Amino acid sequence: MQPDIGVRPRRAANLRTATILLSIAAVFFCGIIVAQYSDTPEVAIGVLGLAVLGFLVVSIGRNIGSRGRQ
Amino acid sequence: MSSIPHDHAAGHEHAHEHHPGGIMRWIMTTNHKDIGTLYLWFSFIMFVAGGSMAMLIRAELFQPGLQLVEPEFFNQLNTVHGLVMIFGAIMPAAVGFANWQVPMMIGAPDMAFGRLNNWSFWLLPFAGLLLLGSFLSPGGAPSAGWTLYPPLSVQTGMGMDMTIFAVHIMGASSIMGSINIITTILNMRAPGMTLMKMPLFVWTWLITAYLLIAVMPVLAGSVTMLLTDRHFGTSFFNAAGGGDPVLFQHVFWFFGHPEVYIMILPAFGIVSTVIPAFARKPLFGYASMVYATASIAILSFLVWAHHMFTVGMPAAGQLFFMYATMLIAVPTGVKVFNWLATMWKGSMTFETPMLFAIGFIFLFTMGGFTGLVLAIVPVDISLHDTYYVVAHFHYVLVAGSLFAFFAGIYYWLPKWTGRMYDETLGKWHFWLSFIFFNITFFPMHFLGLAGMPRRVPDYATQFTDWNVVASIGAFGFGLSQFLLLVAVLKTIRSGAPAPARPWDGADTLEWTLPSPAPYHTFETPPVVK
Repeated sequence: MQPDIGVRPRRAANLRTATILLSIAAVFFCGIIVAQYSDTPEVAIGVLGLAVLGFLVVSIGRNIGSRGRQ
Repeated sequence: MSSIPHDHAAGHEHAHEHHPGGIMRWIMTTNHKDIGTLYLWFSFIMFVAGGSMAMLIRAELFQPGLQLVEPEFFNQLNTVHGLVMIFGAIMPAAVGFANWQVPMMIGAPDMAFGRLNNWSFWLLPFAGLLLLGSFLSPGGAPSAGWTLYPPLSVQTGMGMDMTIFAVHIMGASSIMGSINIITTILNMRAPGMTLMKMPLFVWTWLITAYLLIAVMPVLAGSVTMLLTDRHFGTSFFNAAGGGDPVLFQHVFWFFGHPEVYIMILPAFGIVSTVIPAFARKPLFGYASMVYATASIAILSFLVWAHHMFTVGMPAAGQLFFMYATMLIAVPTGVKVFNWLATMWKGSMTFETPMLFAIGFIFLFTMGGFTGLVLAIVPVDISLHDTYYVVAHFHYVLVAGSLFAFFAGIYYWLPKWTGRMYDETLGKWHFWLSFIFFNITFFPMHFLGLAGMPRRVPDYATQFTDWNVVASIGAFGFGLSQFLLLVAVLKTIRSGAPAPARPWDGADTLEWTLPSPAPYHTFETPPVVK
C-alpha cells in the first residue's frame, strides 16, 4: 500500500524493491550459465532454483507480514 | 474481494492534463495509459504478422504435396510464427492490459518507474523487426522450431543470431516490465487496499511478474550459451564438442513451461474480472482463486520434463513429472469451478466480453483436458510431436489467452476510449471466432491421433480431409479477426459516448473514473474501505 510518506522515501522504497528483483534476475541469468560448468549441472540448476524460490518465499512472507502489522 | 467501497468519487485531477502531442507523445511518454495503448497496438500488429504466417502454413497444408513454399521456408514459417505469437503478440498484449489496468485498479497514479516503462516498450519494436527481418538474412529465418533445440539451432545461418538477439531484447523488456509491475503493486496500492482486497486481475499479474523474473533470465542464459556455442567455440549443447543437446531441452523447458502460465494467468485474471461483472455477483471463492493461482505458478516449475518424455529418462522421473503435471489440474479445476459458481444463479447478460469469457472457459477446459491426456507418459510417447499436441496448445493459447484478451478489450474499451463498441459487431466477432476456431483446431486432434506429425509441409493422403477442414477454418478464423480491428476503429471514431460505469456488475476502482479515463488519475489516492 502507499504508506503515508513523501515522494522521496517512496521512490527509495521502489528502488529497493526493484534492486532486489533485478538481483534475482541477474543471479538466475549468471547461475544458469555457471551451473553448466559444474560436474552435475542438473543438481546445480536445482540448487539455484530452490535458492531463488526460497528467497522469494521469504521476501514475500516478510512483505506480507510487515503489511499485516501496519 | 467483492466490491470496493471507497470515499473518493472521481479520484482524479485535471491540474496538468496537457501532454506532448504528435509522434513525440508516443515516443517520450511515461504515462501508463499511453504505454498500455502502445503495447496493445504493437501486439495486434505482431498478431497480424504471425497470423499471416499461419495462413500460409495452412494454405500449404490444404492439400498433400508441395504447393506454395519450399520445405525449408515452411520450417522457417513454423518457427517464426511461434516466436512472434508468443513473444510478440500474447506477452505484449498481457503487458498492455497490465499497463492500462493495474494502476487504475489499485488506485495508483501511474507505474512505479515511468521511464523504465517507456524503455520496456520501445525495445520491443526493434526486437520484432529483428525477428521478422531474419527472413531476409542469408539462409533465411531460423527453422529449428520456436524451441530452438540444438543441434539445428547451432548449425543454421545468421537468422538464428538475429533471433537470439531478439529473444535477449524481449527478455530484457519483460524483466523490466515485471520489475515495474511488482514494485507498483507492492508499494503503490491505495490506502486500505490490502493484498487480499486487490482485484484478481492484479493478483494474477503480480504472480505472473514473479514468474517472468524467475524464468526469463533462464531463457536468456540458455540462448546466450547457444550463441557462444555458435560463435565462441564453447560446447554447452554442441555434441560434437562434448556438449549435451538434451541439457538445452531441460533448461529451455524450465523456462518454457512457466511461460505457458505467464501467457494464461493474466487471461485468468481478465476472465475473473469479466464474469462477476456480467453475472452481477461477486467472484465466488476469491481467496481460493488467489491460492490456486499461486499454486499453479509454483507447480509450473516442477513439470518441465513432461515436454521431453521421449528423450529418455528414468521411470521414477517420468512418474514424478506425470503426477506433478496432473496435480496442476487441481488448482485449475478450482478456478473453473469458481467461475461456474460465480455464474450460478447470477443475473447474467451476454454482452461480447461475457461471450468471450464463457467461450474461454469452455475451450480452455478442453485444452486443459487434452493436456491431462498428454501428461500420461505412454500416451505422450505415442502422441509426441503429432498434431494432437498442436491442437492442445492452440486450445490453451488461442481459445485460452487470446479469447480472454478479446474479452478484456471489449470490457475495458469504453473506459479506454470513452465510447461504446458496436455490440452486433462484437457478437459477430465472437461467434465467427468461436466457430472457425473449432473448425480449425478440433480436427487436429483426429489428425494427431491418426499419427500425422507436426512441422511437416507434406503428408500422407489419408490425412487430406481433416487438413482441408482445418485450413478452411483457419482462413475463416484469420479473416474474422479483422472484425476486431473494425470494431475498435469504429468505437474510437463513432461509438456512442460511454458512461463512467457501463457494466452493472463492474465494481473495481477504474469504474469510479469518468470515461475515457483522464490522462492522469488517482494523483490523490482513493481510500479503500
